[in-house]
Amino acid sequence: MTALRVETLEAGYEPGLPIVRGASLSVESNEIVAVLGPNGAGKSTLIKAIAGLVPISAGRVLLHDREITGRAAHRLPHEGLGYVPQTENVFVNLSIDDNLDLAASILKVPKKRRLGELYALFPDLARQRRLLAGRLSGGQRQMLAVARALVGEPKVLMLDEPSAGLSPKLVGIVFEKLVEVRATGVTIVLVEQNVKAALAIADRAAVLVEGSTRVVGTARELANDPQVAALYLGHHRGDT
Amino acid sequence: MLQLIADGFVIGSVIALGAIGVTLVYSILRFANFAHGELLTWGAYLAWTALLGFAAVWGPMEPLGPFSFGWTLLASLGVAAIATAALALLVDLLLFRQLRRHGSAITLIMASFGAALVLRNLLQFIFGAVPEYYSREIQVAIRLVPRDVLGGLRITPDQVFVLGLTAVSVVGLHLFLTRTTLGKAMRATSINPQLARVTGIDVDRVIRATWVIGAVLAAVAGVFSGLTVQLRPQLGLDLLLPLFAAAILGGIGSVYGAVAGGLIVGLAESLSVPIVGAEYRAATAFIVLIAILLVRPTGLFGERP
Amino acid sequence: MPDLLGLLSYGTFFLVFVTIYGLVVLGLNLQWGFTGLFNVGVAGFVAIGAYTSALLTAPDYPDQIGGLGLPIPLGWLGAMVTSGLAAFIVGVAALRLRHDYLAITTFGIAVTLQLVALNAQGLTGGPFGLQFIPKPFAGVIVDNLAWNLAYLAMAITLLGLSYVALERLVRSPWGRVLRAIREDETAAESLGKRAFRFRLQAFVIGCMLMGLGGALYAHFVGYIAPEDFLPILTFQLWTMLIVGGSGNNRGAILGTVVVWALWTLSGNVLRELVPAEHQARAATLQVVLIGLLLMLILLVRPRGLLGEEAVVSRHMKDPAGEVQEE
Repeated sequence: MTALRVETLEAGYEPGLPIVRGASLSVESNEIVAVLGPNGAGKSTLIKAIAGLVPISAGRVLLHDREITGRAAHRLPHEGLGYVPQTENVFVNLSIDDNLDLAASILKVPKKRRLGELYALFPDLARQRRLLAGRLSGGQRQMLAVARALVGEPKVLMLDEPSAGLSPKLVGIVFEKLVEVRATGVTIVLVEQNVKAALAIADRAAVLVEGSTRVVGTARELANDPQVAALYLGHHRGDT
Repeated sequence: MLQLIADGFVIGSVIALGAIGVTLVYSILRFANFAHGELLTWGAYLAWTALLGFAAVWGPMEPLGPFSFGWTLLASLGVAAIATAALALLVDLLLFRQLRRHGSAITLIMASFGAALVLRNLLQFIFGAVPEYYSREIQVAIRLVPRDVLGGLRITPDQVFVLGLTAVSVVGLHLFLTRTTLGKAMRATSINPQLARVTGIDVDRVIRATWVIGAVLAAVAGVFSGLTVQLRPQLGLDLLLPLFAAAILGGIGSVYGAVAGGLIVGLAESLSVPIVGAEYRAATAFIVLIAILLVRPTGLFGERP
Repeated sequence: MPDLLGLLSYGTFFLVFVTIYGLVVLGLNLQWGFTGLFNVGVAGFVAIGAYTSALLTAPDYPDQIGGLGLPIPLGWLGAMVTSGLAAFIVGVAALRLRHDYLAITTFGIAVTLQLVALNAQGLTGGPFGLQFIPKPFAGVIVDNLAWNLAYLAMAITLLGLSYVALERLVRSPWGRVLRAIREDETAAESLGKRAFRFRLQAFVIGCMLMGLGGALYAHFVGYIAPEDFLPILTFQLWTMLIVGGSGNNRGAILGTVVVWALWTLSGNVLRELVPAEHQARAATLQVVLIGLLLMLILLVRPRGLLGEEAVVSRHMKDPAGEVQEE
């Protein structure tokens, strides 16, 4: 079953200047799919457009075969789509508990049960639930951001560069946690610069260039494809 | 001395209720709203209009117990609160909402400055410039402390009513912000609007709630001012500087700070009267403002400058 | 031809006011249009200039401080010094913080000055204000119209000089830094203390022009009172700038002409149409109309009639990395 389908999407901040130009993507249930590509390829804009944060000018987005194109950003968490922004992804003036509690109130999920499940999944957070989120280290903050996005029991979880600003060791820990999250039945789409780490956990990956998807394949195919590596993944210079 | 402190708390209550609105709008919509004072004025006059309406139907207002006013004033207060909230939503819909789409915060301040003048002059056009009163009943002030102890203390029942209802409003707001989902959503939006949206919060709804709460408290403050002083078209304009001073003193964005700031500014105004004279009491707020900006611009309870 | 003379006299009067306001709006444009500083207390800074010059130059006032009888140019210089000083104090308190704080603080100083003007009888004459403010070259030119024309010529010269000076300033490296600070908060922050100093300089210079405008007003009319400097004045001046197009000195002056013409015209129409006993009330409608004009401009044409000028050459990039052009 297709969890998320993006059909020739066009999106951008200003009318007439699309950054995403004809991107297509199909994510099966319980898959981890990485969206890769050089800097400025429109990866972040694509995920933000799906999340309702960037206006869509053409194309469609379907979540479990229901069209959600252009739906207001605040509706999507209620529809089963979770989103973790790259930066400022926790409420820094609230405690860990309040961050999760807030999301539970908004999304009307049974608080005790869901927070219990999440604390079981993220024991590090459970140990310091009264701590202000602003005091957390980078890795734990990222964990809280993921937990916050999971409160509403989303079918699909999208993450914008979860590895950004983390040490290689922490990237490993966070990504392992994503595998655990997938094991609970969540489909994951992540946009990444860190190709190696992303392909290590992804089932499949799509490469976005100049706003459109160029190559889609299994993680292994892409990792071993010298052409792809040379063109888009790391050896490419001079792009902004 | 005691008398000045008591008077300061009464005027401070009015300032505190108004300052809550200023600080809420600032923290959610991110601009200093120069039109907030006019919501106090409109609230006061709308209540007066409702009062006249009630009087036309049920005859003149019968004072309630020791107060100068009857139950129709309480009903009028309710009507004014609703109507002022509607007015605030209307101004937001026609003006601020349009500017939010592509304007900067500074355009919003300027628009609010224009809206203030329009609202004030419209009010003066409708109601005229002559001061009005809700009631001309003379009240017997209660002597709480004899004259020979620190100058003594007398307080009117109306002033007790103002202090009491202010306390109730603040407690009610506290419960709303900490216990209800909408209240929590407001706090979240003030911390990080973008993240609030992706968490599932309808920010437009939060903005509407902000205007409604700010306007309702403004209407209450306006009626209090009309009750303890008089109704004038400049009522809100004259209070605007104390409102800002209180909001900044308390730490802009902090509701409890606004309450504390309001009471402090009220006390400062009242205590300054014997020193600088009643005609300069409004300037006291300015001195407080400059002092806090120089010494601690984040305010007493603020987190961000 | 009495009508033509009347028209000429009226026109001169109108233009003198336009010129004086134009000077103030140029100061406001330096603050808002070029530096992004939001000053809500313009009327207060105009008042400081007016009162200072009056107190310095007028003949001795009985029972009052001031009335030093100094030469008029000294009075104008004094006006610029005191309004600049007030701006310095406000700026030091508020310019390091977010722009809302400057708005609130300038509003506060205007309210406070209004209170001083009304109540400090010994200095400002209280509600009756100051009279017998000397008129320059009144001894030489006796005819009223000729004097008005002479004053107009002088005011236009001052406006022209200020315009040329400001145009050079905003095109200088100093002016480019101002715009960079306005456009880009991060650039401003990286400048740190220097950004604060640049802002303070622009703010003080702008307020000095406002003070000079106040002095010119005082010496043209001959008497001043607190009610000449109410918040409505600030509002009118802002509307002039926004209508004309902030960030553009020619726009500032054009906006002054347009708004002042609309203001006097609507005032005349109301005076003609509304019976005398309702005029005070009708005057409030005039404010409502101008207020709606301002909001309409903000909503429909936020750049004003002329819009911001491209003051940086096309080949030069601004700090945001984009070519700045209109």
